[in-house]
Amino acid sequence: MSSIRRQLLIGLLVPVFAGGIAAAAWTYVAARDEAGVLFDYHLEQIAWSMRDRSFQRRPIPPHSAAELENDFVIQIWDRGGVEIYLSRSHAQVPGLSPPGFSNQRTPDAAWRVFSAQVRGRVIQVAQPQRVRQRLAADLALRASVPIALLIPLLAAIVWIVVGRGLAPLTALARAVGKRHSTALESLEPKDMPIELAPLVGELNSLLARLGATLETQRRFVADAAHELRTPLAALQLQAQLVERAADDSSRAAALAELRRGVERATRVVEQLLTLARQVPEARTAGGTPVDLESLAQAVVAEFAALAAEKGIDLGIGRAASVLVPGDRDALHVLLANLVDNAVRHVPPAGVVDVDVGRDQGVAFVAVSDNGPGIPGDERQRVFERFYRVAGSGVVGSGLGLSIVREIADRHGAAIALEDRSGGGLVVRVTFPRRT
Amino acid sequence: MRILLVEDDPMIGASVREGLRQDGFAVDWVQDGVAADTALAAETYDLVLLDLGLPRLSGSTLLERLRARKSDIPVIILTARDTVDDRIAGLDSGADDYVVKPFDLDELAARIRAVARRRAGRAAPRICYRDVELDPAGHSASLCGDPVSLAPREFALLMALLERPGSVLSRAQLEERLYGWGEEVESNTIEVYVHGLRRKLGTDLIRNVRGVGYMVPKA
Repeated sequence: MSSIRRQLLIGLLVPVFAGGIAAAAWTYVAARDEAGVLFDYHLEQIAWSMRDRSFQRRPIPPHSAAELENDFVIQIWDRGGVEIYLSRSHAQVPGLSPPGFSNQRTPDAAWRVFSAQVRGRVIQVAQPQRVRQRLAADLALRASVPIALLIPLLAAIVWIVVGRGLAPLTALARAVGKRHSTALESLEPKDMPIELAPLVGELNSLLARLGATLETQRRFVADAAHELRTPLAALQLQAQLVERAADDSSRAAALAELRRGVERATRVVEQLLTLARQVPEARTAGGTPVDLESLAQAVVAEFAALAAEKGIDLGIGRAASVLVPGDRDALHVLLANLVDNAVRHVPPAGVVDVDVGRDQGVAFVAVSDNGPGIPGDERQRVFERFYRVAGSGVVGSGLGLSIVREIADRHGAAIALEDRSGGGLVVRVTFPRRT
Repeated sequence: MRILLVEDDPMIGASVREGLRQDGFAVDWVQDGVAADTALAAETYDLVLLDLGLPRLSGSTLLERLRARKSDIPVIILTARDTVDDRIAGLDSGADDYVVKPFDLDELAARIRAVARRRAGRAAPRICYRDVELDPAGHSASLCGDPVSLAPREFALLMALLERPGSVLSRAQLEERLYGWGEEVESNTIEVYVHGLRRKLGTDLIRNVRGVGYMVPKA
């Protein structure tokens, strides 16, 4: 798992260390070179300061060891190349060197030498390289140490700032973590940095959607429980009439009613379960291609017996092999509900047709019947859960068309209720054009 | 007692009508609010059993209209809406009682009797008139303490007369209270029942007001 903290720390601390070390090294080198230039200037100045003197050769007392360490050596030669001045007697001093600056070696030391010809004399000033280097190193070190010391300080600051910067994220995580599963109100963190706003916004909108889904489910459960009361109330009354029956024939009639009541209650529960399975928000778009024609054949076969019992002519009208992407089981439920509705509402000896085809390239399946139809002002309401058409005399769950719409929505399909020419209803489900 | 049952569910409606008929009530059943409104305007009922979730015209609207017309007919709400708020709203909008589905037929009948009793200005469950005592719950009658067997419609007719001693009920009014829609009313039936009651309880109990109807004199 990637870590913002680690990325920030690596991304900041590595440059800080590398940059710090490079800066210290560069300072060291630059300071040393600068010291070299300065020492050369000194050599030159000393040489020039000697040009007007007259010298007498005279013996010079030996120098102490400390003096030997640091000393410049000044040598002056006259026109004839006779050494007329030697500032001190080193064991070894560089001989006459070319004019200007040069590096010379004697067997026991390396020298930096400045040599100049002035008024027939050669003035030469030499300094041991060792001394120069030591002084330059001291100088350079003193210049670069503060930079080196700054590195850990900067690192510590980076560490703290990164930690502070990420604190709102940690706080947000804690706030989300502490939530109860039913607490769906918006997150409103205090002092929220602007960078977190999109995340919090998205989280809040997710929470809102979750809340809406939960509310839908809760209302569905409440509605369902409420709607179960009706079939249960009927069952209770029917059972009581069985108890009261005075003779066998009235008992048989009451029992038949009770059985119908149980069938109705069972159907309501089954429809509720079907609907509950369709409700989940997850849109299972796409899916595998479903052949509407074979689906229609399967559904018609399923209802053939029931239709025959009622003397209804159920069959497939127009047929064509049409493939639509979708969930075959769900589409089966959709078509079965439409056919079931039609068979229930059509009077005996009615006609129910299932048509499958394409209209201008748009796939559709339609169920038409010559029943009483649905009045225009009720056509919107019939899709509401638990809505029943008044005076139909048909005992239904009021859920069939809700289920149909739920499934159609999932497939992006549209449902239209139309008048059938010659009376009756056509329910047409049109699938979206393939893109 | 003639009751208008307003219930859109076919199974519940059929069962309640059947059960209440067995209890000796005359029941007319309509399945939507508009039909109920029409029936209430056209006919006289002693009580309305009202479902709230009705197609075309909701039960609560129907009740409001009824009370706005100054009708004081007793109304018992039959509904699946069971929250306290629903009950309060139902009772406050003019209902006399509130029964939540699922309910028991016997309880419903008892509540109908209780509402009818209060409406008649009585508190005692039994109706006493001279030596005659009627028990509406048990559908039994007694004369001087001895049980008398009455046919359900004889009982209903006697109840109707004893509820308001001194007032005259016409034959048509009595028929209305004895028969629901679709129940065959034979000619002379009222006379047959009156005859039966006189035979069992004494000839001076029910007076014939010639050309008008029947009454029991004020005690």
